[in-house]
Amino acid sequence: MSSMDFVKDIDGYQDVAKEIEVLRNYARDYSYVGRNVKRTIGMLHPRRLSLRVSEIREETSSTKTLRLVSISSNGYLPPFQAGQYINVFVDISGVRTSRPYSISSSPSQRGYYDITVRKVEDGFVSSYLLEEVKVGQVLETTAPAGNFYYNPLFHGDDLVFLAGGSGITPFMSMIREVTDKGLDRKMHLVYGSQWEDDVIFQDELEDRALHHGNFKYSLVLSSPPDGYTGLKGFITAELLEQVLGNMYDKMFYICGPKPMYAYCVKELEKLGIPSRKVRMEISGPPKDVTLEPGWPQDLDKSTVFKVEIRGGKTIDALAGEPLMVSLERAGIVVEAMCRSGECSMCRTKLLKGKVFQPQGVRLRKSDRDFGYIHPCVAYPIQDLEIMI
Amino acid sequence: MASDYDVVVIGAGNAGLTSALTLAEKGRKVLLLERHNVPGGCATSFVRGRFEFEVALHQLSGMGTDDKPGPLREILRELGVLDKLEFVQMDDLYRIIMPGVADVKLGASREEIISTLKENFPREKEGIEKFFDLVYEFCMQMIGGVYMHDPDISREKYPLYFRYALRKSKEVLDSHFNDPVLKAVISPYWSYMGIPPSHLSFSDLAILLFAYIEFKPFHIKGGSQALSNALLDTFLQNGGTARFNTPVDKILVEDGRARGVVTGYGEEIISDYVISNASTISTYYELLGPEYVPEEVKKELGRSTIGPSAFTLFMGLDCEPKDLGIEEATNFIGTSLDMERTYALSKTLEKPEMGLLSCYDVSDPDFSPKGSSQAVFVVLQYAEAWCNIGPSEYYDTKYRYAGFMLDLAGKAFPGIRDHLEEVEAATPLTHQRYLGHPGGAIYGFDQYAKDLNLFMNKKCPIDGLFFAGSWVDSGGFQPTLTSGRQVAKVVIKDMESKGVPR
Repeated sequence: MSSMDFVKDIDGYQDVAKEIEVLRNYARDYSYVGRNVKRTIGMLHPRRLSLRVSEIREETSSTKTLRLVSISSNGYLPPFQAGQYINVFVDISGVRTSRPYSISSSPSQRGYYDITVRKVEDGFVSSYLLEEVKVGQVLETTAPAGNFYYNPLFHGDDLVFLAGGSGITPFMSMIREVTDKGLDRKMHLVYGSQWEDDVIFQDELEDRALHHGNFKYSLVLSSPPDGYTGLKGFITAELLEQVLGNMYDKMFYICGPKPMYAYCVKELEKLGIPSRKVRMEISGPPKDVTLEPGWPQDLDKSTVFKVEIRGGKTIDALAGEPLMVSLERAGIVVEAMCRSGECSMCRTKLLKGKVFQPQGVRLRKSDRDFGYIHPCVAYPIQDLEIMI
Repeated sequence: MASDYDVVVIGAGNAGLTSALTLAEKGRKVLLLERHNVPGGCATSFVRGRFEFEVALHQLSGMGTDDKPGPLREILRELGVLDKLEFVQMDDLYRIIMPGVADVKLGASREEIISTLKENFPREKEGIEKFFDLVYEFCMQMIGGVYMHDPDISREKYPLYFRYALRKSKEVLDSHFNDPVLKAVISPYWSYMGIPPSHLSFSDLAILLFAYIEFKPFHIKGGSQALSNALLDTFLQNGGTARFNTPVDKILVEDGRARGVVTGYGEEIISDYVISNASTISTYYELLGPEYVPEEVKKELGRSTIGPSAFTLFMGLDCEPKDLGIEEATNFIGTSLDMERTYALSKTLEKPEMGLLSCYDVSDPDFSPKGSSQAVFVVLQYAEAWCNIGPSEYYDTKYRYAGFMLDLAGKAFPGIRDHLEEVEAATPLTHQRYLGHPGGAIYGFDQYAKDLNLFMNKKCPIDGLFFAGSWVDSGGFQPTLTSGRQVAKVVIKDMESKGVPR
């Protein structure tokens, strides 16, 4: 007697057995299900996209917009939320690296994604995108990602965008979406720019402000020409009070160069804005990590440490450079997306040694406890051993 | 060709992790492959702003206390992870809030629960006593007879088990109680199985109640990710190898026997044993290929239906739980007494009528930063309706549904909207994306009586290929963690019988 024969004595067994018999005779066909799963995921969140540069437009002397289209025959691109970015992979003189760029075009159409790139001083990738990339070239990217977007569940309908320099790009997508679709949302863009002749999207912003009552545009120049009558200086509490008036129930969004965040947050605090009313875009690794609070005082950024990769090679890594960059330079591929310590795609186990991780790196509590780091904003301060 | 590993485990979900660790700890050479960049599958967390949101664990069952350890505590001790984790006991089973109808808190002891229910439903006193007597007696019999594999199991020896095991929970509730409110108050755990009381076997409802009362509900400091990290950590310490961001494309078969896997990067890894923590459906049809799916397997798979996924709203709040009137870690919120209807709605995109709001900060004040808290609100949702909307409508649909959820949460905790600092929503498609499971199913197949372990034929026709996880056992933390451990033991036995050298 099989050990499971007792089952037949359970009340109701006959009914269940009959049900099973019928269902087996009319069994569902699951052979197609796996393909459907892959298709559904692929439509929304493919791991990678191959995008062709279809057009390059000069926005200002420092800035170009690259229009990217799908290389697939149907031209399909996944939907995104205005404010999200794609991480663009490049191979530059044998080094494979990547940078996230906000999509500046509106999500109300999905024929293309625009990314708008400004020349950055010593910018390894921006120089390449601005000077080397040609129309027709194919770039590999991630699907749109990131958490800097309008969330209708709690952002309300009165939005203030604080942009600095190339930080205009996610806002451009939001402004275009709201104005194109005629959405019932008020927006006020306060845009800090250095030079009058290098304001990205200046004409379009003025034009949209002129034609859409729900969009206001205030340009603030930090290096204004002589006799300039517009807003000057930085985005201070006083300036915000002046241009915005009533602050009540507004949602503030900040995107710009790294120093701008701390500055604006302080100004918003002066105005009594609660922190839940302030959204901040990711901002990459710090320009000079040695200036970050907590950096070991006596450690020079040019110090070189050895990083051993378990089961692989040992590489050199500069103290002042994100570990991910040293890995990429040595030809070691680590998954990358936000490159700002937020998305956790590059999560790596640190087996030996110590790294410095500046404020704002978003590690899970238990990841910290079990020795995981985000190499995109982790800096070696000792010789290391890691597991990829 | 020599083997690269003794065993390859596909997927680092709960069952993948415990099976890999069990084998490594026995000195076997194990490779654990995971597509995602973190271990855990469902048992994970993610960070938004200053919050770390728990994805899946609501109430860990089977832990018990130090003096009265439950089966899961024993397993975790044997696996060597118990000391790496800090478990937080939850004081109560749950609070169920049905605005305008009932608001009842059930403690975590039998006496307390019975007296609370009698107080709230004085006319049902007798039925309440009888019901819990039945739950307890029944479970003792099921444990003694079935779980302990009594070779002399019989109807005479375990009469209640044989009478009630396959009864529908609703019948048992109806035969004990008149008040529909009481029936709703006593049975919200049906949602932990994903099947309404009209179809849920009494064995499932009874063991849920029994297990949470006897072994208490728990949470983990650092959330379920801490558990996943601890399991992985111990696996590595035992000499295991793990690779993340590494999908498996194929399982290699030679002469009807598993011979390893091919990764998404085209790398062949040779091994005589493969344990799949992926769904049985994708293991057969995707990893093996239709030519390896015999008629018998087609029928066995095809007689079950893909179970529910979930819609989860993660809320980071800039206030403490008490500021919103959240006094319990586990809160069922419902606007309908009709559980059949509640369940039927899980197949549509219409307003949900019942959900589970967990606020871990109540039992663990360190869970969120000081002065803040998080609420994770989840409802069962089948994926099909979500698969039928086009990508262009996806985000709008997601926000509309999340809005329904916020309304529902607000009915129990007015003012929650005024304290939102971070909000993220996960749809069935989100679960599908991260788990890779058909339907984004969180518990595997639907768990009707016919899908009970008693009736499942899990035998895989490919020698050396084994399954671990919710698609072959029950869903949930304790069942999947246990499943992996058991499968590993079967594999070890098989290796020993074949004399596979260590």
